[in-house]
Amino acid sequence: MAQRTGAERFLASPAKSASARVLLALALAALLLGGCGGGSSDSESQGTASSAAAAEQEGGKASAPAVGSKDRSGSQGESKAPGAASGAPAGGEDSSGQGGQKQGPAIAAPKGPQEQAPSAAELANATVADMSLQSPAILSSGGEPGSLSPAYTCDGKDSWPALSWSGVPAGTAELALYVMNVQPVQGQLFVDWAVAGLDPGLTAIEEGKLPKGAVVGQNSFGEPGYSICPQGSGEIYMFAIYALPKRLGAPKGFDARELRRQILATSGNVGLLPALYAHS
Amino acid sequence: MRTKQTAIGAALAALAVLCAMFATTASAAPAWKFEAKALEGTEVILGGALDSSLTVPGLTTKCENFLYKLTIKNEAGTGKGEVTEVPLYNCTTNSSACAVKSIVAEKLPWPSKLTTVSTTPYIIIEGVKVPILYSGEECVLGGVLVTVTGSAGGSIDNAKETATFNSTTLTATGTSLKALGQKIEWNGLFPTEAFQWHREQALSVS
Repeated sequence: MAQRTGAERFLASPAKSASARVLLALALAALLLGGCGGGSSDSESQGTASSAAAAEQEGGKASAPAVGSKDRSGSQGESKAPGAASGAPAGGEDSSGQGGQKQGPAIAAPKGPQEQAPSAAELANATVADMSLQSPAILSSGGEPGSLSPAYTCDGKDSWPALSWSGVPAGTAELALYVMNVQPVQGQLFVDWAVAGLDPGLTAIEEGKLPKGAVVGQNSFGEPGYSICPQGSGEIYMFAIYALPKRLGAPKGFDARELRRQILATSGNVGLLPALYAHS
Repeated sequence: MRTKQTAIGAALAALAVLCAMFATTASAAPAWKFEAKALEGTEVILGGALDSSLTVPGLTTKCENFLYKLTIKNEAGTGKGEVTEVPLYNCTTNSSACAVKSIVAEKLPWPSKLTTVSTTPYIIIEGVKVPILYSGEECVLGGVLVTVTGSAGGSIDNAKETATFNSTTLTATGTSLKALGQKIEWNGLFPTEAFQWHREQALSVS
């Protein structure tokens, strides 16, 4: 490998100064013409590329301070995770080396085991969030959860908004709609609305209306139906459309939390739509 | 006489072109530099987040250590690179009901490039893919595999030798990370350290 140390790369003074002279002349001429501002440092660095290469041909003397064999062995261990070597370059500990101007903060050494990719079994059992769910009543902006219109909460008519979805996988046997609080209430998942038995060919429901065959479950308020009513000033809710690879045959007034456990066990797909609502 | 004027005119035109070229290079194509000298060849940078979080709406995921390994180089005066490794450690959520079952950076290497927006240098990382599997029976995302994809632009602070990623820097660079079909928030402050040939040297971008 013809890799050069950092010091060798910069041992290019004769050619570099020649290049710099040309650039200085150009810059002065440009200044005299009154039309040219900055960019000189960039142009210098570009100019040194070829000159440094020329100097390398001569075999720089490599006063090469801090780039010895230890560094090479560390850096060429490409299979080693950065974390495994992160203690080495922690600039904050001692910046008394050749640079002297190093000001960057130190990189903390990792603690605990490295996170792993999901196993094949975990992937097979997971519910994949690759469907899309939208509502004209929930408009997101700038990465924040979209705000839910008060009309669809206990401050309004407390009925569900129009929802539409896409990406239902082939072979889906049933769809189910849920609304849940993102943060659990008293340590438990709080379900605000659960509807099962939806035809897999459906792609939308209208505001306040359910299609034939839909079965409504009992929500965490203990009522069969929909209600969004934050206990505090506000909550983030998650609207979800689940695509189930098999029919679960939930009865009317089903236990929403229990059915969700069964839904997740089918390893289907889901579309999620977060929504923020705060009492005004 | 006319010939001399023509020659001067041609020289002025050439200077104007050169001047424009240099100005363009300085504003639109920043390069990686060590001790104010443009990097030649390649260098390996290691970084670790001082503070980083990823918010899939409503659920914030944090990793105690979020490291990255970035191979950088200058191509035709423009800084480029590849994120080759992103090991994550001790990742948790802001919900007591939700745990991170697994999280890993996929489809590495992620190409990166430097750019300038309104005189501020930025690094743009493309091809980001991070699947996150959450667990927890009472977790709204328990058992759900959420995949974060997209590109992210972070502003580079030459004085502090850090890269900062947040909604402002993503917007400034026209980049976005998405999950659940919508933009998600990523906040991160990453110090940078050369690990190969330029250890202990001041890293800057301009």
